[in-house]
Parts: sequence; C-alpha cells; structure tokens
Amino acid sequence: MSDLVPNLALGFSVAFSAQNVLLAFTGCLVGTLIGVLPGVGPIATITMLLPVTFGMEPTGAIIMLAGIYYGAQYGGSTTAILVNIPGEVTSVITTLDGHEMARQGRAGVALGVAAIGSFFAGTFATLVVAALAAPLVRVALLFGPAEYFALMVAGLAFAVVLARGSVPKAIAMILVGVLLSSVGTDLETGVERMTFGWAPLSDGIDFAVLAMGVFGFAEVLRNLDVNERRDVVKKPIGRLLPTRDDLRRSVAPILRGSLLGAALGILPGNGAVLGPFASYTLEKRIAKDPSRFGRGAIEGVAGPESANNAGAQTAFIPLLSLGIPPNAVMALMVGAMTIHGIVPGPLVMTKNPSLFWGVIASMWIGNLMLLVINLPMVGIWVRFLEVPYRLLFPAILLFSCIGIYSVNNSVSDVFLSAGFAVAGYALLKLGFETAPLLLGFVLGRLMEENMRRALAIARGDLAHIVQRPISAAFLALAVIVIAMAILPAVRKRREEVFVE
Amino acid sequence: MIARSLSPAGRGMSGEARQDPLVESVRGGGRVRSPRDLVAGASLVALAAFALWAGADLDTGQLRAVGPGMLPRAVAVLVGIAGLGLMVASFLKSGEALGRWALRGPVFVTLGVVAFGLTIRSPGLVVAGPLVVLVGGAASPEVRPRELAVFAVLVTAFCIGLFRYALGLPIPVLHLPGIFTL
Repeated sequence: MSDLVPNLALGFSVAFSAQNVLLAFTGCLVGTLIGVLPGVGPIATITMLLPVTFGMEPTGAIIMLAGIYYGAQYGGSTTAILVNIPGEVTSVITTLDGHEMARQGRAGVALGVAAIGSFFAGTFATLVVAALAAPLVRVALLFGPAEYFALMVAGLAFAVVLARGSVPKAIAMILVGVLLSSVGTDLETGVERMTFGWAPLSDGIDFAVLAMGVFGFAEVLRNLDVNERRDVVKKPIGRLLPTRDDLRRSVAPILRGSLLGAALGILPGNGAVLGPFASYTLEKRIAKDPSRFGRGAIEGVAGPESANNAGAQTAFIPLLSLGIPPNAVMALMVGAMTIHGIVPGPLVMTKNPSLFWGVIASMWIGNLMLLVINLPMVGIWVRFLEVPYRLLFPAILLFSCIGIYSVNNSVSDVFLSAGFAVAGYALLKLGFETAPLLLGFVLGRLMEENMRRALAIARGDLAHIVQRPISAAFLALAVIVIAMAILPAVRKRREEVFVE
Repeated sequence: MIARSLSPAGRGMSGEARQDPLVESVRGGGRVRSPRDLVAGASLVALAAFALWAGADLDTGQLRAVGPGMLPRAVAVLVGIAGLGLMVASFLKSGEALGRWALRGPVFVTLGVVAFGLTIRSPGLVVAGPLVVLVGGAASPEVRPRELAVFAVLVTAFCIGLFRYALGLPIPVLHLPGIFTL
C-alpha cells in the first residue's frame, strides 16, 4: 500500500506526456461519438482501430483504446437521456429517469449529474484499480495452472448468471465459444484441429473477426429489423449545473453507485453490466417515495451512471493483474497488448511498470477530459443523431470491412466475418445471447492450456485440481453461482432485476 | 418489457417477440410449446454432430497426456446435451414462437461484405468501398438509390483519406496488376 503514491506518480508522469494526453483525448472523443451513435459499439470500433495502433508505442495504444471504452459508456448515457435510446447496454437503465427528466425540461441537469457522478466514480475506481492491482498481482503470482483453470471456470459461471435470458442457453453459448476457440493448430502437438485443411483457419479464428461478425454486423442486421423511432427531446437542454437540492439528493446515490459498480466490475464474467441495474434497484428500494422513480427522479440517474463508470474501469483489474479478460472489449485489449509483445498477466506490472501505471493514471485523466469536453459539446453530439440510419449503417459496414481486412491484411477474414454475421443474426433470432459466446471463446484457449498443464503436472490425476485449496474454492464458487441461478427463488429475483 | 429486450445496443427487439406464446402453442397443436427453443436446440445438436465429425480424426489422449482431440470432443458432447435439453424442454414448457426472420437484411449485408472481400485486393478500395456501401445499403427498405450513390463516393473518399493517408494503413487504394498501383 505504501508504494501506491510513488506508483501513481510514475503513472501520471507517463500519462501526462503530450503524446499520451493527446491519445487519451482522441480515445475519449471517438468513444463518446460511437457511444452516442446507436448501433456502433466499442467492440466494433476497437476492432476497426486496432490496426491503427500497430504503429504506436504500446502504452499509448492501450491508453487510446481504454479511452474509447469508457468514453463510449459516457456517450451512451447522453443518448439515453436525450433520445431515450441507450447507446450502450450499460445505459439502458438511464433511459428510465434520465429521459423523463429531459421531457420535463431538465435534460441539462440530468446530463450534469450523470457527468459529475461519472467523474466521481471514475476517480474512485481509478484509486480502487491502483490499490487492488498490486496485491492481486502478488496473489496471482502464486497461481499455478490448476488455479488459473478454476478461476476461469468461475468467471464463466458468473458470465452465465449475468447474461440476460435463459440460463441453459447462456451455458450452451459459452460451450459453443469454447468449441470455436479450439479450431486451429493445437499449440502442444501442432495438429490441425477442425480446419478442413483451409490455411486461413490454421492459426485459429481471430477474435476480432468473430466479434465483428456476431457483434458488429449482426447488430446492424438486428437494427434493420426494428422500425426505429427516435424520440428526440425538442425542449431546450436547460441549465447543466444541478441545483443545491439536486446535489443533496444525488450525493448518496453517487457514493453507493460508485461502490456497487466498482465491486461488480471486478467480477470476472463482465460484472460491469450489472452495476447500473443493481444501483437502480437499490436506490428504488431504499427511497422514501419509490413511486418517484420512472418519473424523473434524479437519484435514478446519479446512482446507475456512477455505477456504470466505476464498473467500466474496475473491469481492467482482472486483465491487468491476472491476464484474464472479463469481457469482449478487454479481450480486444489483450489482442492489442500481444501485438506489441506484452503478455497480459501478473508480470506486466513488474516488467512494464510504466505501461501498467500509465494506463491506470490515464483513466483519471480521461475522466477529467470527458467532464470538461463533453458537457459543452452536447449540442454537437445531438446533431450526429440526426444522421438517418439508412446512411449510418452502410458507413458502419464500410468502416468495419476496412477494420477486419486491416487486422491481418487478410481477405479470408472478411469472408469469415460475413459468415459469422449470418450466424450471429440466427443466434439472436433463436434467443441466444452472444456475449457469453465471446467470453467462452476468449477464455477457451487459456482454459484448455492451463487444464492440460495442470493435468500433466498431476500426472493425469483430476483430483489434484480439486484438492488445491485455491482452485477448490474457485470451483466451489462456480458451482454455487450456477446452482443459485437455477434455483427458482433466485431466478425470479434475477428476472426482476433485468425487467426493471 | 421482458428481459430479452434489453439487447446489446439496447434497442428492443420489439415486433417479432410480442406474439402471445400461448396462442402460438395452441396453433401448433399443443405438442411443441416453444418452437423457437426446439429449433435452437436442434441447431446446437447439429453443431455438436458437425464438430464431432470434423474432429473425428483427432487423438483424444489420456488424462496424463491430453491429446488435441479431448477438449473439442468433450465440449461438443456437452453442446449436444445442452441442445437435447432445450429440445426436450420445448415440448414441456411454453415459450416463444419462431418469429419473423428477415431475408433482405442478411442477404444484402452479407453480399456487400463478400463483394468488399472480392475487390479489396484488386482493384482496391476505390471499387470495394462504394460496392459495400451500395450493396449493403440496399438492405434497408428505406434505401434511396441516388442519395446512397453520392454518399458511397463521399464516404469512400473519406476512408481513403483517413485510413490510407492520415493513419497510414496498408490498404490497396487502386491496384490494377501490371497497369497501375496507388
């Protein structure tokens, strides 16, 4: 803990270099833009911009990509408030009271509170990341293959519970993801698996290609199905600064939201998504007059928005300390790091301290930028919403194609992504979530590698994995989490949370 | 709002999921109560069978020395079990109908992306760009051809400027083998 100050000082000295500030700025700006535009998520954007970072220095590259990620969370809430369309999943909950406030002519205050809450949460989460990363890294260094394997199983179990919709379908999606990850050359034996002798498959399926197909393109297809109606608030945005009374009402929700979001964000298996939902449920439950919620209660904006931002940042903890990406965006970060020869995991902190702490410090700088740049620019962002979707989506297709092609300069990647687009659309139509599929894919390779190593160490004794205390604890956690999801009482509760 | 409508970009899948499942199950003769889950389960079983066939020649190995075939085979079996489970459940528990499957969107978007893949190396982005915008753009029922054509040229020019020149990605802009390369 005593190292925290010098470490953060190192981080800020890296993050405050002119180049890195500029990259953080670019990232935040691009992130906000895509957060505002419905149908373009951070996954598609980061895939598109991944090739651009190849020529950069790794710290700068990660700083920019991270900026896109949390900038998108921020931009997503702007559209949620003004247009009643959540730009990102995490801002779904903000539409309830945020948009209602906008209808009452208090859009500015809603945006202002969201910004202040996000900034506070961002600052808090930066400190949490900084404080927790180092001890976690020390723990992670004790982990053997068995522990890693068990931890990933627990992560996938969380992903099942956190996925919306049916539990069996989420489990099936994770399995399909793991199955897809095994396509390609087996690392240990060099045997080609399920490639049908097709050369482009022998390196395995590129994560960016899969993500662009089942997330990016399929999202476009889904939007085409829906006749969209944009409910742009015509009323003036009004004052941005909340009144004293607004602030008094918001302080406690911001604090609780930050705590909840930060805690849930650490969970492997994309806990960050749950933060805003949990915060809203909590605020509504402890409110003196719950009936105000849904009618423009400022607490319903302040809490979830803080939780959303805090979770987006603490989601970096599993990646930076354990090398395990908790969601698809983080998996793309893994890609960005490995391209530069950095293997994500506990060794990053000791081997590349300036990258590790620089990225953490840049998150705080990025949050400050979001606060300073975005509020005055709200009017410009709203303009972007006036681009009709019939023109927006062909542009998205072109950008995505260029991105996919550029990742490996490969034409077969473009064809593969087209195939995954169709598959992704079919999955949506059949009621499958694609988020667990991506997570299963990401963790599949790591899991197999660690499982085989653990079994080799134990000479084929499965009991060995279960007997080691840490891995036994993780596996038990996984079983408990899944059992809880299937239990009727909890299941009902879970549905309620998602229905809200 | 049901849970599923909180979908990735957040916009609800309104429309097709709104049919009353009970009405649907009655119409289906009361046997298959969740047509969507039946198809979903059958697809998983088919995928599992395909994976088992594709990986049939792989060595499973033993626990002591796990072979390349063990994980794919084990996971494929689990996928198959999950699929069978869904199929069985679709006869017992009522669920949603199969819904409306659009053809226009998937067909044009896929064609657009494939057209891009076929033309990006040669003749290059000058052709591939407008192609994906025009073909893909036709996926929307609200398409306005003339507007889209102008937009295709503009957005391609923008991309060439941004990706090729400002960001320096090695994308072929115009490549006619033996004649001209930009």
